[in-house]
Amino acid sequence: MNANGKPVEDAAPWNRLIEAVAVSQDREAFAALFEHFAPRVKTYMLRSGANNASAEEVAQETMLSVWRKAALFDPSSAGAAAWIYTIARNLRIDAMRRERTGSARELGDEIEETVDDSPAPDSRLAAVQSEQRVRAAMAQLSDEQIRVIELSFFEEKAHAEIAEQLKVPLGTVKSRLRLAMGRLRTLLGDLS
Amino acid sequence: MTIHHHPSDVMLAAFAAGTLDPGERMAIATHLSTCARCRAFVDDMEYVGGVMLDDLPPAAMPAGSLAEVMERLDEPASRTIQVAPSSDLDDVPGLPDLVRRCRAGDWKWIAPGVHVRPIIVPEDSPTRVFLLKAAPGTRVMQHSHTDLEMTCVLTGAYTHDGTRYGPGDFDIGEEDDDHKPLVEQGEDCICLVAMRGDIRLSGLLGQLMQPFVRM
Repeated sequence: MNANGKPVEDAAPWNRLIEAVAVSQDREAFAALFEHFAPRVKTYMLRSGANNASAEEVAQETMLSVWRKAALFDPSSAGAAAWIYTIARNLRIDAMRRERTGSARELGDEIEETVDDSPAPDSRLAAVQSEQRVRAAMAQLSDEQIRVIELSFFEEKAHAEIAEQLKVPLGTVKSRLRLAMGRLRTLLGDLS
Repeated sequence: MTIHHHPSDVMLAAFAAGTLDPGERMAIATHLSTCARCRAFVDDMEYVGGVMLDDLPPAAMPAGSLAEVMERLDEPASRTIQVAPSSDLDDVPGLPDLVRRCRAGDWKWIAPGVHVRPIIVPEDSPTRVFLLKAAPGTRVMQHSHTDLEMTCVLTGAYTHDGTRYGPGDFDIGEEDDDHKPLVEQGEDCICLVAMRGDIRLSGLLGQLMQPFVRM
């Protein structure tokens, strides 16, 4: 945010907002992040099979984590959307774990490093560049390829269910996904 | 360490998407802890997740939801639970924290030259995880599985169908593959194995062993 409270014009407005939260506990910046990301995290959770109430709970907890962890966000090595995505994903994994174990822990009692021990996304390139690179690669995929990747990311469905939904044989889903990922890897390689 | 064999792109993407089961996640995390190439791809897939999240159509949050969260901003963030690595697996090299946090059973003899040690996955998982240790020169008995098996080599090496698997390598056994890996001379070969479905041993000895291999 600049002095007038308007987002600074650059390629990474969300990064600036997270920095403002980290540096000066800027509540307006937080509200702007919430308005954009909470409803999208809710959609992500709904598509993953959560009911309305728990989708909203995960969306709220994700944004609380954004507030609390803002100081850990390194804008030179992570993109805002990717960072928020990993927070939401980890909370989702944690919610599923609690379901399975019947644990009394509350959502938000997030186990650190739930998923991987690797450093935050990508320090080889500036984050904004990485995000642009990934966007550029994804823009070259066919709609069908994007669709199958999206289904595998956001809809907690076995490949068999995806096959049913797309009305194609199971083997076709598997090979489409494999081809889409292979193409994405090639495109990403060409762009790096 | 030169790593020659990697998980498939689809598996790495599923790891980034958080859709693997807990046992599979441990196997991929073990590979990632030594493989920079796959870690970079997972990082890219997290960007893909971010881009797709950003592009999702918003679902309206209820009125007052932001205000509710705003009120909680000053709550102390004391609820993060730090899970210390259990010391059970300190003697095994090459394991990521995700695995080292788990309790593990004792090594059990299952066949000449072969021991297994179960890793206790702290939640229901359709995939079981265990360590397998085979002495140099051991021909691990022929077996097939009813489902997927992921093997991460931690120490030593083995060859299987003419292909060598050394430290950091990731080996995928598909349904009904019949394997009979041969452990290289030199040191013990220790692997982390994540297995869904049951293992089926071939031959008479295998059938006699079968009850002991079920874990």
